[in-house]
Amino acid sequence: MDIIVLIKQTPDVALNIKVNDGALVEDGVSWVIGGWDETALEAALQMTEAAGGEVTVLSIGPARVQEALRKALAIGAHKALHVSCDSTDGWDSFQTASVLAKVLEGRSYDLILAGKQAQDSDSGLTPTMLAEFLNLPQVTNITGFSDLSDSEVTLRRKGDAGTEIFKMALPGLATVNDSMAEARLASMRGIMMAKKKPMEEVALDSLGLDASLLSTDGVMIETLGYETPQLQKEGRKFEGDEAETVPQVMQLLKDSTSLFA
Amino acid sequence: MSKILVVAEFKNGALKEGTKELLSEAGRLGIPADAVLIGEGVAGEADVAAGLGAQTVYVADAASLAIYHTLSYTQAVADAAQQSGASMVWLNSSEMGRDLTPRVAARLGVGALSDVTGVTVDGETVTVERPCMATKLIQKSRFKHSGVKVLSIRGGSFALNDQPACAANTVALTVPEADARLQTLGVEVEESNEISLTDAPVVVSVGRGVGGPEGAEKARPLTQQLGAALGASRAVCDAGWLPHKHQVGQTGTQVKPQLYVALGISGAIQHLAGMSDSKIVVAVNKDADAPIFKVADYGIVGDLFKALPALEESVAKLKG
Ligand SMILES: Cc1cc2nc3c(=O)[nH]c(=O)nc-3n(C[C@H](O)[C@H](O)[C@H](O)COP(=O)(O)OP(=O)(O)OC[C@H]3O[C@@H](n4cnc5c(N)ncnc54)[C@H](O)[C@@H]3O)c2cc1C
Ligand SMILES: Nc1ncnc2c1ncn2[C@@H]1O[C@H](COP(=O)(O)O)[C@@H](O)[C@H]1O
Repeated sequence: MDIIVLIKQTPDVALNIKVNDGALVEDGVSWVIGGWDETALEAALQMTEAAGGEVTVLSIGPARVQEALRKALAIGAHKALHVSCDSTDGWDSFQTASVLAKVLEGRSYDLILAGKQAQDSDSGLTPTMLAEFLNLPQVTNITGFSDLSDSEVTLRRKGDAGTEIFKMALPGLATVNDSMAEARLASMRGIMMAKKKPMEEVALDSLGLDASLLSTDGVMIETLGYETPQLQKEGRKFEGDEAETVPQVMQLLKDSTSLFA
Repeated sequence: MSKILVVAEFKNGALKEGTKELLSEAGRLGIPADAVLIGEGVAGEADVAAGLGAQTVYVADAASLAIYHTLSYTQAVADAAQQSGASMVWLNSSEMGRDLTPRVAARLGVGALSDVTGVTVDGETVTVERPCMATKLIQKSRFKHSGVKVLSIRGGSFALNDQPACAANTVALTVPEADARLQTLGVEVEESNEISLTDAPVVVSVGRGVGGPEGAEKARPLTQQLGAALGASRAVCDAGWLPHKHQVGQTGTQVKPQLYVALGISGAIQHLAGMSDSKIVVAVNKDADAPIFKVADYGIVGDLFKALPALEESVAKLKG
């Protein structure tokens, strides 16, 4: 059971995200493994613990993504594959998925796992496009797995009407919902061991990609810019005895809405 | 010439509101629309889609399509897209739409945009707005490629303009053959007579501040009084104090009620991403600096266990 986990290194969204003139400010950003990708790694570790085999973490990006890959190795992945390039700025999901498809061509794996969406783009497009390019079956947004063997796995997915259950033949691709499992942390021992684990680096230029794919003509989706929405409300705060503040607030609610009409 | 193909979804056999919103918006933009209906026993809804403006309704109706299946649905949508010659394919940002959108786009060899909240069509140019970075930013993007543009759109982005049904011009699609690589085993529907989060005009949500399962249950009387759905933060669901279907937020359900009451929720960015569009937010938290107060219209700094009885009493009085 060999699993490839797609990892995107993203800004930590819990911290301050700044925009200047429509562009993201990278200065001062803290780079982390996206939350859903962390759960995907956890799922992969649980699967290989149950059925044997190795977990390879794969990331495309500049030199800094090796920090994310090294962290994944410390958490428990067996090998890392870094597809290095100067920057992936301006790439759309179609391009990223095309590059991933080229990287995985000729490599062997039973399952590809990814987060249900990257924590910066919140798109959830790349893995499924990859599944189409590799002609693999897919189940997205999985919340659990069972009956894992070398040829198939049963996956539970959060669907619109409830939990949908599928048996997927391998090789296949799945994306992971964070409610599937709590991601484990790296231990001291894991951090020490990670230093000796293999980190393969492949240069983007060496993949033999069609030159037009990554040229500006190849871009399908152009991002024009980012704005910061007004989240902060001009709300009122009430402090003191709840027996007094609560009725006060409720009276204001009644006066300003039709809720108790 | 622009034309939109709307991928329909159903709830209890009827067209979902989200689908009707998409057809309504096509009409508002003055762009002709077709629809594609996939499922079991859904052909009867073709007339409803036609009433909302669908010129041609493509239908794939078969027992094998009863539960959403990526591979067969992709094939049916791609087939309809080709036959219709649509310049755009619009889906809902449901669990089905999120799964299907990128697969359909890749099948058609084009890019896609997901979780869109606003669309501007200017001739051939389609520009969208969508939240990203846990809703901390709004991203503006446009399709640069020629050919069909595939996008999933969040519910509530467009107003629904309901219309009476009329006789549809339908085209039956070839039902895709079962793909043995992905076998549907079933769907588990949690039976409940509770009010669902998406439909409720009021949501009362509990966070880790309730301290345990008993604390979470203490919010139920208030939900009954208000006709509210019971929501929860991920911390509460992960701890098993309430089932995951109650989770509000980026991973849970995204809600937009008239009134959202947050009890003992700190207001992490992933939680806010699921509720900050609520019309009015009332938050109770004992920490005056809790981030939830930034999105609250009325912030009550205090103990939720003291606030709850006071809330029940006030609501009883105000309802008269
Ligand atoms: C990929 C990812 C996805 C996520 N998706 C979601 C999601 O969909 N939904 C979600 O909710 N979270 C989500 N999270 C988790 C999120 O980051 C927070 O961890 C979570 O929302 C915290 O829940 P909480 O506010 O209940 O708990 P805490 O942050 O622990 O807050 C508890 C609050 O209760 C207050 N309190 C304690 N006692 C009382 C009392 N007696 N009276 C009044 N107030 C009291 C405290 O002051 C505190 O503010 C996600 C995280 C990741 C990484
Ligand atoms: N540059 C990348 N390298 C490796 N995996 C990626 C990359 N970009 C996206 N992915 C994977 O695709 C998932 C979804 O990304 P997105 O489509 O941007 O939401 C991420 O969570 C990753 O698992």
